Amino acid sequence: MNCYKCGCRLSEKDFCTSCGADVGMYKKIMYSANRFYNDGLEKAKVRDLSGSATSLRQCLKLNKNHIEARNLLGLVYFERGDVVPALSEWVISKNIRHDKNIANDYIDMIQHNPSRLETYTQTIKKYNLAVGYCHQDSLDLAVIQLRKVLSLSPNFVQARQLLALVYINNQEWEKAKKELDKAIRIDANNTTTLKYLKEVENMMPADEEKAHKKKDAITYQSGNDTVIQPVIKKNTSSPHTIMNIVIGIVIGIGITWFLISPARIQKAQKDINEKYKSVSEQLDAKTAQIDELTAQISSLTTEKNELSVSLDEAKDDSKIIEANGNLIEATLMYINDTDDEIAIADKLELIGDDYLDNYASDDFVTLYNTLKDEISRAVSRTSYNLGYEAYRSKDYETAIKNLSRAVEYDATNGEALYNLGNSYYKSEKLDEALEIYEQVVELFPNTEKARKSQSYIKEIRGE
Amino acid sequence: MINFEEELKKFHPSPEIQDVEENIYNQDVTDLADVLVKMVKDAKEE
Repeated sequence: MNCYKCGCRLSEKDFCTSCGADVGMYKKIMYSANRFYNDGLEKAKVRDLSGSATSLRQCLKLNKNHIEARNLLGLVYFERGDVVPALSEWVISKNIRHDKNIANDYIDMIQHNPSRLETYTQTIKKYNLAVGYCHQDSLDLAVIQLRKVLSLSPNFVQARQLLALVYINNQEWEKAKKELDKAIRIDANNTTTLKYLKEVENMMPADEEKAHKKKDAITYQSGNDTVIQPVIKKNTSSPHTIMNIVIGIVIGIGITWFLISPARIQKAQKDINEKYKSVSEQLDAKTAQIDELTAQISSLTTEKNELSVSLDEAKDDSKIIEANGNLIEATLMYINDTDDEIAIADKLELIGDDYLDNYASDDFVTLYNTLKDEISRAVSRTSYNLGYEAYRSKDYETAIKNLSRAVEYDATNGEALYNLGNSYYKSEKLDEALEIYEQVVELFPNTEKARKSQSYIKEIRGE
Repeated sequence: MINFEEELKKFHPSPEIQDVEENIYNQDVTDLADVLVKMVKDAKEE
C-alpha cells in the first residue's frame, strides 16, 4: 500500500514515514476495499455472480485502483453475457496498469478474434431488437429473437430472464422454469431470477406433482432412518396382460394395414406404372421401327421386282439382238457365197430352238428356215464326209457330232444314219446305237444298211 | 404476482461494442480515497 500523497510504501504506522501525511483513514478505506474484493471473490467462486459484482463494485468505490477487483468484475460481467461492461472494466484496468495485467489478455481475446467479436455484436443487436419487440407487445417475435440470442450466447443471463418473463406472461410455466433453471446455474443468486422462479413454482401445478411423487415412493421411519421405498406395481392379472398384448397386436396390425400398407401399395403401384410406361414407350418405339423397316422392305421388294423385270427385259433384248446378229451374219455369209455352209450352220445353230419357239417373229422364222433349207444338203454332205473320216480314224466322238448334224440337215442321208449307229456301237453307247439301227431298218428297208443294222440289233439284244 | 409491464421496464437495451468508449467515459471513477484526499486538502486550506 502506498501513500496517497507522496506514493511511498506505507508502514504499519498511521502516518507516512516519508511525508508525514495522516494515512489512518486512508488505510481503513483500503482495507475495506480489500474485504469487499475478498467477498466478491468468494461469491464468484460459488457462482453468485450478482453478489460478487455488488461486492466488487463496492470495492472499486472505495479503491478505484484495485486492479484485481476490476479485472474480476469484468470477468463476472463477461460470464453473465454482459460483454460491453466487461470490456469497459478491462480497458480501465489496462489504463491504470498497462504491464503485467491479465486484462490485456482478456481484451486481446475479444478484439483479435473477428468472428467472436461479430458474434458478440450480433448477440447484442438481437437482444436489443427483442427488447424493442417486447415493448411493442410483439412477444412472439421477441421469443424468436431471444432464442437466437441464447443460441449465440447461452450465458446471457439477462436474455434468459427476459425470455422467462415472456413465458411467464404467456403462462408457459414449464418453459419459463427451464430458462430460469439455466439462468440460476449461471448466476446462482440473482434476485431477479429467484423472484421469477418463485413465481413460476407457485403457479405450477405443484399438488399434482407431489401427488405423483407420493405414488412413486413410500416413505416411512425405521428407527432413526427415513426409508424411501419405490412402489413396485405388480400386475397379477394375467388375463388382463394377455388382453393388453392382444389389443396391442391388433392396433399394430391396424396401423400396418391402414398406414404402412397403403403407402407401400401406392409405392408399388407407382413403380409398376412407371415400368409399364417405360415398357409402353419402348414398345411404341419398336413398333414404329418395325413399321419403318416393313415399309423399307416393301419398297425394296417393289424395287427388286422392277429391276428383275428390267433385267428380264434386258435379257430378252439381249437375246433378240444376239439372235438377229447371228441370223444377219449367216445370211451375209450365204449371200457372199463363202461356200462355207458349216460356218453358216454354226451361226444358225447359235440361235437355238428356244428363241425360235418363244421370241422370234414370223419373218425371222421364215428367213431362218429358208436359209437352213438352202444350205441343208451341202451341210449334210460336208458333215457326213467329216464324220465318216473321223469314224474311219476311230474318232467316234467327232464322228457322232458330224454324222448327227448330217442326219439333222438331211433326213434322207441313210449312210450318215447308219454310220452314226456304227459310231455309237463302236463307242459302246448301245442304247443310242440300238435306236439308230431301228431307224435305219424302218426308214431304209430292204437295203444292205437295213440288213446289217438288223444283225447289229440282234447282237445288241443278245438274240 | 409479477407485473409484466413493470418488470419489462427493468430491461433496457444493452450497450453495443462500439459504445465501450462512451461507457468508460460515463463511469464515475471517483472513489472514497479521492474524497478523503480532497477532504484533507480542503481542511488544510481552511
